[in-house]
Amino acid sequence: MSGNFEERLLSALKAEITTRMEEEDMAVRTPVRRGPDRRFLSLSAAVAGAAAAATVALTLFVGAGTPAYAVDKGADGSVEVRINEFRDPGELQAELAGAGVRAVVDYLPAGQTCRPSRGEPAGAGGQMQVGIGKEGKGIAFKIEKGQVGADQTLVLAITVDQAGADRPPMATSLQVVKGTVAPCEATPLPLPTDSSTGENKGEEGPGHHTESGGKDGGPSLNTSTG
Amino acid sequence: MRLSEDPEAFEAFYRRHVDAVMRFVVRRVSDPHLAADLTADTFLAALDSANTYRPGRGSEIAWLYGVARNVVSAHHRRAAREVRATGRVAGRRMMDDNDLTRMEERIDAERRMRRALEAMAGLPEGERAVLELVAIDQLTVTEAATALGIGKVTARVRLHRARRALENVASPSAVYVKGEA
Repeated sequence: MSGNFEERLLSALKAEITTRMEEEDMAVRTPVRRGPDRRFLSLSAAVAGAAAAATVALTLFVGAGTPAYAVDKGADGSVEVRINEFRDPGELQAELAGAGVRAVVDYLPAGQTCRPSRGEPAGAGGQMQVGIGKEGKGIAFKIEKGQVGADQTLVLAITVDQAGADRPPMATSLQVVKGTVAPCEATPLPLPTDSSTGENKGEEGPGHHTESGGKDGGPSLNTSTG
Repeated sequence: MRLSEDPEAFEAFYRRHVDAVMRFVVRRVSDPHLAADLTADTFLAALDSANTYRPGRGSEIAWLYGVARNVVSAHHRRAAREVRATGRVAGRRMMDDNDLTRMEERIDAERRMRRALEAMAGLPEGERAVLELVAIDQLTVTEAATALGIGKVTARVRLHRARRALENVASPSAVYVKGEA
């Protein structure tokens, strides 16, 4: 072996990066545009596959309402999901299964997210931008017919805001995974930083990302602008 | 720039922190092969989380220690279940005799800290976590809060409680290494 452990590990890790770039990494991080007094909602949405190629088939917005969640099956085969309060993920999973969408739902405490690579991303690599609008609380999205195929699973991981389970989440991750889905392994939610290095479409200008450090904040994507 | 998509950026990040990560790990495990595995696992986990990590303000090392802490905890949980996870990048297979000797030296150098950590074993998890990062890993309270995903005030309160709890036990002086906010 040449070099030392550190150098060999570095080479292996760089090779790993290359491998991963080839085979996956379809996570799109879509920070939300919002007005004053709105809480920051960060979406890491990775949805891939043939269905994703055509249109923005999955829309994510913050909606209003009262029950913890609602799952509505549309006449066109689409399924609308609205989550007002982040509790009982198992029930939501069951409800989605009833609507023909296999799903794995995890709600994580503030500051945590699931380790990525929950499974093989569905499809060949189409990336999809997720449109977001919002008002009130919770989140909602629509799954178009066929977007989550027979052998596929919608993997939803939501980092709940520490201010309450009915607040817009700190972060949301949506993926469609083919085959087996790895269980959620909690990991710290990476630090939000200023957005000057962001490369995503829809990124807003600096000044909207706020690291809360004052109160009982922790690393969070919340903001108190306005 | 994203760590997981830019090998050069990752290399710079790695070189900045690899020593610190190895020291962090050998403060917690005393087997050199395992230390190599956990070092590799920590950087792999950093890659896993890197899709949302963006460098900038805030302490990189605090973030990375948070990752390392999860990796080490996950290892302990796995060990408890006697399951060995094997990843694509197995640290121990990259060690030659020379590396083994160097790793053992690192392990020796951190002996005192490992003992101090053992002394904290009885503390409640939340308090111990803050004290560990501040007293043992030399993070500031703010950085420890970042690493643990908790608020600064919470971190300070926990640190205070942890120290007070240890005062009531005959605590090793190492635990009393100062930590500034």
